[in-house]
Amino acid sequence: MSGWESYYKNQGDEEEEQEEGLEVGGDYSYSGRDSLIFLVDASRAMFESQDEDELTPFDMSIQCIRSVYTNKIISSNRDLLAVVFYGTKKDKNSVNFKNIYVLQELDNPGAKRVQELDKFKGQEGKKYFQDQIGHGSDYSLSEVLWVCANLFSDVQFKMSHKRIMLFTNEDDPHGDDSAKASRARTKAGDLRDTGIFLDLMHLKKRGGFDISLFYRDIIVAEDEDVGIHFEESSKLEDLLRKVRAKETRKRVLYRLKLKLNKDVALTVGIYNMVQKAYRPSPVRLYRETNEPVKTKTRTFNVNTGSLLLPSDTKRSQIYGHRQIVLEKEETEELKRFDEPGLILIGFKPLMMLKKHHYLRPSLFVYPEESLINGSSTLFSALLTKCLEKEVLAVCRYTPRQNTPPCFVALVPQEEELDDQKIQLAPPGFQLVFLPYADDKRKVPFTEKVMANPEQVDKMKAIVQKLRFKYRSDSFENPVLQQHFRNMEALALDLMEPEQTVDLTYDESSGSKRPKVELSEEELKAHVSKGTLGKLTVPALKEACRMYGLKGGLKKQELLDVLTEHFQKA
Amino acid sequence: MARSWNKAAVVLCMDVGLAMSNSFPGEESPFELAKKVITMFVQRQVFAENKDEVALVLFGTDGTENALAGEDQYQNITVHRHLMRPDFDLLEDIESKIQPGSQQADFLDALIVCMDLIQKETLGKKFEKKHIEVFTDLSSPFSRDQLDIIIHNLKKSGISLQFFLPFPIVKKGGTGDRGDGSLLLDDHGPSFPPKGITEQQKEGIQMVKKVMMSLEGEDGLEEIYSFSESLRQLCVFKKMERHSMPWSCQLTIGSNLSIKIVAYKSITQEKVKKSWTVVDARTLKKEDIQKETVYCLNDDDETEVSKEDTIQGFRYGSDIIPFSKVDEEQMKYRSEGKCFSVLGFCRSSQVHMKYFMGNQVLKVFAAKDDEAAAVALSSLIHALDELDMVAVVRYAYDQRTNPQVGVAFPLIKDTYECLVYIQLPFMEDLRQYMFSSLKNNRKCTPTEAQLSAVDALIDSMSLVQKDEEEGTIEDLFPTSKIPNPQFQRLFQCLLHRALHPQEPLPPIQQHILSMLDPPTEVTAKGQVPVSKIKTLFPLTEVIKKKNQVTGQDLFQDNHEEGPTCKRLKTEEEEARFSVSSLAEGTVTCVGSVNPADNFRVLVRQKKASFEEASHQLINHIEQFLDTNETLYFMKSMDCIKAFREEAIQFSEEQRFNNFLKALREKVEIKQLNHFWEIVVHDGVTLITKDEVPGSSVTTEEAKKFLAPKENANTDTAAAFEEGGDVDDLVSTSNTYQVFSCLNLAEL
Repeated sequence: MSGWESYYKNQGDEEEEQEEGLEVGGDYSYSGRDSLIFLVDASRAMFESQDEDELTPFDMSIQCIRSVYTNKIISSNRDLLAVVFYGTKKDKNSVNFKNIYVLQELDNPGAKRVQELDKFKGQEGKKYFQDQIGHGSDYSLSEVLWVCANLFSDVQFKMSHKRIMLFTNEDDPHGDDSAKASRARTKAGDLRDTGIFLDLMHLKKRGGFDISLFYRDIIVAEDEDVGIHFEESSKLEDLLRKVRAKETRKRVLYRLKLKLNKDVALTVGIYNMVQKAYRPSPVRLYRETNEPVKTKTRTFNVNTGSLLLPSDTKRSQIYGHRQIVLEKEETEELKRFDEPGLILIGFKPLMMLKKHHYLRPSLFVYPEESLINGSSTLFSALLTKCLEKEVLAVCRYTPRQNTPPCFVALVPQEEELDDQKIQLAPPGFQLVFLPYADDKRKVPFTEKVMANPEQVDKMKAIVQKLRFKYRSDSFENPVLQQHFRNMEALALDLMEPEQTVDLTYDESSGSKRPKVELSEEELKAHVSKGTLGKLTVPALKEACRMYGLKGGLKKQELLDVLTEHFQKA
Repeated sequence: MARSWNKAAVVLCMDVGLAMSNSFPGEESPFELAKKVITMFVQRQVFAENKDEVALVLFGTDGTENALAGEDQYQNITVHRHLMRPDFDLLEDIESKIQPGSQQADFLDALIVCMDLIQKETLGKKFEKKHIEVFTDLSSPFSRDQLDIIIHNLKKSGISLQFFLPFPIVKKGGTGDRGDGSLLLDDHGPSFPPKGITEQQKEGIQMVKKVMMSLEGEDGLEEIYSFSESLRQLCVFKKMERHSMPWSCQLTIGSNLSIKIVAYKSITQEKVKKSWTVVDARTLKKEDIQKETVYCLNDDDETEVSKEDTIQGFRYGSDIIPFSKVDEEQMKYRSEGKCFSVLGFCRSSQVHMKYFMGNQVLKVFAAKDDEAAAVALSSLIHALDELDMVAVVRYAYDQRTNPQVGVAFPLIKDTYECLVYIQLPFMEDLRQYMFSSLKNNRKCTPTEAQLSAVDALIDSMSLVQKDEEEGTIEDLFPTSKIPNPQFQRLFQCLLHRALHPQEPLPPIQQHILSMLDPPTEVTAKGQVPVSKIKTLFPLTEVIKKKNQVTGQDLFQDNHEEGPTCKRLKTEEEEARFSVSSLAEGTVTCVGSVNPADNFRVLVRQKKASFEEASHQLINHIEQFLDTNETLYFMKSMDCIKAFREEAIQFSEEQRFNNFLKALREKVEIKQLNHFWEIVVHDGVTLITKDEVPGSSVTTEEAKKFLAPKENANTDTAAAFEEGGDVDDLVSTSNTYQVFSCLNLAEL
C-alpha cells in the first residue's frame, strides 16, 4: 500500500485518523462529567456600557456563555452547564432565596438552551431581560453560592469536575454590609472544601476593578494555577480567551517515569494540547419512536450455535498457504518491549530537529509529583538547562504496556504570557515524535530549476502583499461547523441552516476550479493541427459548453463534437 | 502493494566457505551473521507478500550445482534456489539446511553464476529491478581475468550490486549524504576489527571497491555494508525503499497565479499491514465463527428490533436528531475538489511545530517537464526562504475528502528544493490547558548546585560529535535510520511459530534490543553525572499506604485538588464507578452535598454494604461538625437521623449505637456542646430493645445516654462490656485520625 491512491479509496483518511483519535482520547471517556455554572451578575451596572458602540458587560458575558455552549456541543456534549443570574428582581431557585434567578439548571447543552440565551443578546436582550426578570435591589453572595451548590447536588450523574464562573463588574458587592461579606467568604470556603472551583471573570469597571477589596478572599487561586491572575477584561475577545482557558479541565493522558538511567527517575504527566475533533459518530434510533437503541455484539459458533467466550478463539494470519496461529494474549505480548515510561537516550542540539520529519501530533510533558516526590524540581532544572543550552532530550517512549517503543524528542518550552496575563504557552517539554526508517518514503524529486533573483524578488512582492498574522485558532473546521449547523437547524426546526462561513476558502480567488477557458483561435488551431486530443476532458467539456454543443462523457465523443463544429464553421 | 511494474528480481549470493565459520571467541561467526541478515531480508519479503522473486546462490559449498559448471570451472558454487517468490520453505532452508562448507570459491565466479541466473530466469518476465547481494568475508582467492566482462555485463543488463562484509571498510573522502553516523556506529556490535584482516581480504576489499567504483562511481562505495550495520539498519537494502504515488494539483495564489505541482508523501507512519483474523480455537477456521450485532430497545425486556427498523441519528448536545444517510449526503459540507491554494503568508515563527497535525508530510515539487512551473515554484521557495516566511494553505486531496488548513514551508537541499506541507489544527482541535509556572514556584526552584549537575549531565550525554576542523556535527544516534522494531519482532514471532508451531514465542533478538539503546559510550559517560543528580535531588517514591486508602477513598468528592497521590487513586475510582452510574444515573457513594439521601439510596439498593455506606456517612458528619457552624449542624442532624432510621430497618442497631457513643465523646473533646443540645432536643438516642429486638439497650439506658455527662463514661464502658463490635469502633476512630491529619495538612 505504498500509494495514497489505494489508501484513500479503501478507507478515506478520516477513518484511519479516527482510529488513532480513539487510541489517544479513549483513556478518559468514562471518568465522569465536567460541570460548569455560569453565574452572571444582573445588576444595573452590568447593563451599562461605557461607550456607545461598546458591548455592555452583561451582553459580553451572554455572548461568551453562548460560545462556550456551542463549543461544548461540538467538543464534549456530555458536560453539564447551567446559567444563574443574581441581583434580579424576580427569583427562581429551589430554596426561594430572593434576587437569584436560575435560568438553566445543570444539564447537557442543547439547541433550545442556546436559543434561550440568544434572547438576552443585544439591545433587545436588555429589554427582554428587564421585562422578564428585571433588576433587583439587593442580593447576598453567600445565598447565590448556596444556590449554585444546590444545583451541583441535584445532579444525578457522577461529576468529575465542578466549576463556577462568576461574571461581574462590581468589585465590592457587600461594601456596606460586613456580615454579608463575611458570610460570602465562609460560603466560598465551603465550596472550595467540597471541591467546587470558583473563578472570577471580572469585567471592566469605571475606575478599575480592585480585586483586593473583596474578591481576593473569595477566589483563592487553585494550587495548580499559582501565580496566574488575569487582568480585567474589557473586550469580548479577551473574556472569551479567559473563559476558554478555564472551561476545560486538563486531563493527563499518561503518568510516566522519565528514567535518566536504571535507578534515577522522575515522574511526568503527558497531555495532548491538539487533538483532532471529529464529527460525532451516529447513534441508531428506533424508527417508530426515535429513541436510541442499544447494540449488542456476540460471537457464536456457526455449527453449534453456542456463544463463544474469548478463550474459545485464537488469532491467525495466512501467508501463502501457511496458517500461523497465536493466542490473543500472544498477539499482545509480541508488541511488548519496555515497561511504560520514557528512557533518556541523550541530548542533541535543538537545531538537529528536522521540521520536515513530522510524524504525529506532539504531546506536552509536565512534572507530576504523584509517584515520585521531588520530580518538579529536577524537571524544572532540566527545563532551565535545556533552554539555556538550546538542546533537546532524545528519549525512548512507551506509553502503555504492549505498545512498541518509539523515539521522541523532548523540546523545551518556556512559559509565555500575554498582556492579559493569560498563559499562551505553559512551561514544560513538547514531546515530538521522531520517525523510524520505515516511516520515511523515497520521493522521486524533479531536477532543480533555479529562479533568477529578479523572479524571486517579484515573488517576494506577492508574498508581502498577502501577509497576515497566523493564529492557531484562526480557522474553524468547515465540515464540522456545517454538520452542527445542520443539527442545530433540525433541532430548532429552522427552515434552513445558518450559512457556514468557510474561512479556509479564499474569497479573493473566486472559483476554485482552474480556469480552462480557451479562446476560439486556440481551439481552431488545435482542430486544424489535430492536437485537440491533448486537452483535458474538463477543458473539452468547458469548450463544448461554451459553444452549446452536446457531447457525451467520453473524450472521443467530445473530440468528435468539437471537431465537427469547427470544421463546419 | 507492489505492482507488477515494480517487481524486482534479487539474487542472494552467500559465501559459506571455510573461513566464514571463523570467529573470535564470544562472537558470532560471519556465517551466522550473514544468515541473520539474509533471514531478515527474506522475512520482510515473505511478510510483505510482494511479487518480488528471490534466488539463493551459495559458494564455497562442498558440492557443485550450477549451469556454468564444467570440469574445473565454477566449482563449489551451488544454486540453492532458483528465482521465485520467497516463502517459508526458503526461510526454513536458511535456518536449518544451509551449513558451512569446507571449501572455498572465487566470489567473482559466483557473481558470474548469479548474473547468468538472472539473465536466464527473467527472460520473458518483466522486472523493473534486477539486483545481486553478495555476502562474503573475501578470504578466498579470486581471479580477475573476467572483471571487465563482469562490469560490462552488469551495466548492460541494468543489474545493481551490493556487498555485505563482516567488517566496515574505510570509505575515504568524506562519508557523503548517508555518512552521518553509519561509520561510527560500527564501533560497537560484533565485527572484525579491521586490523585482523588478512592480505587476501585486503586484496578482496580493493577488488570490491573497484567493482563498485566502476559501476556507480564514488557513490558505489556507499553500497558496501558491514553485517552489523545492516542488522541495525535494514533500510540499507535498496529493495526496501518505498515509493509514493504522485498527486498533481495546482498551487494557487490569489486568483491569477497558479503553478502546476506534484506532491508526494514523504513521511507517514508505517503500520502493520495484515490484521489478525479470529478463528475457532479448535478447528482454526474463521468460517466457524460468526459475529452478530443486534439492536434492542432500552426497556426492561431489551426487546430486539431489526436493523431495518432503526434509523441513524446524531446528538446535538442533549438533543438526538434523526438524520438519515440521505439527508446527511444532501446537507453535508461540499468540498470543491482537490486544491492547494495559498490563504496567506506569515512569519515562520508564528507556525510552531507543536501545532503540526495529521498523519503525513508532503513534499511539493513543480510538475514534471514544466519549466514555467519549476521557475515559479523555485522563486516562491526562495522568496519564502529569504523572507523567513511560510505559506498557510488550504489543501484538499480530492472531492471526497475533507479540506485541511496547513503550512507549506521551503526546504532547500543540494540536489533538490521543494515545499513541505503539514496539516495545522482547526480551532476545534485545540485544547488550551494552563499549567502553573515553574519559575516562580519556590517549592520546585532548583539550587545552583542542582542546576550545574544537570548541566554536566547534558554535556556528558551529548548524542553529537563536533568536528572542530570541518565544522560539521555528527549525529551518533540518528533515529530516523533505525527500523521500527515492531515489524522485526512480529516477523520473528510469526516465522518462529510457522516453523515451530508447538513452541512458545521466542525472546526479542538481542540486536533489536541493542539497536534501541543509546550508544554505550554515551551511557557510560552519563554514569557519573547521573549519580551526582541522584545525591543532589531528593527523589522519593510515593508509597501507597494501604491502610490509609480507606480514609482517602471516602474523601474523593471533597479533595479533588488535594495532594496528587490521592487524586490518582480518585480517578481510578471514578473510572470504576462511573460506568455503572452513567448507565443508570445512580448514586455510588455518599457525597457531601446530599449525604443523607445518598446514604439511604445506597443501603436500600444494596449498592454498598451497610458498613461501608455508614463509614462514608460518618465521615461527612464529622466533617460538617468540624465547621462548627449551625447550618452544618442541621445537615449533620439529617444524616444522623437517616443513619438511625436505616439502622433500625436493617437491624444494624449496634453500628449506630457505637457511632453515637463515639460521637458523644468527640463532642466533649471538641467542645461542641451546642450541637449536642440539638441532639438532645431532637431526642436522637441509642436504638433500644423496643425498636429492634437485637439491641441490648433499654429505654432507660437510652434516656440516660442523653442526660448530662456524668454518666457518659460508664456508658461507653458498658458498650465495650456488651461485646459490641470493638473493631468497628476502633476503625472508625482511625478514620477520624486520618481525617484530622488531612485537615491539618490543608490548613
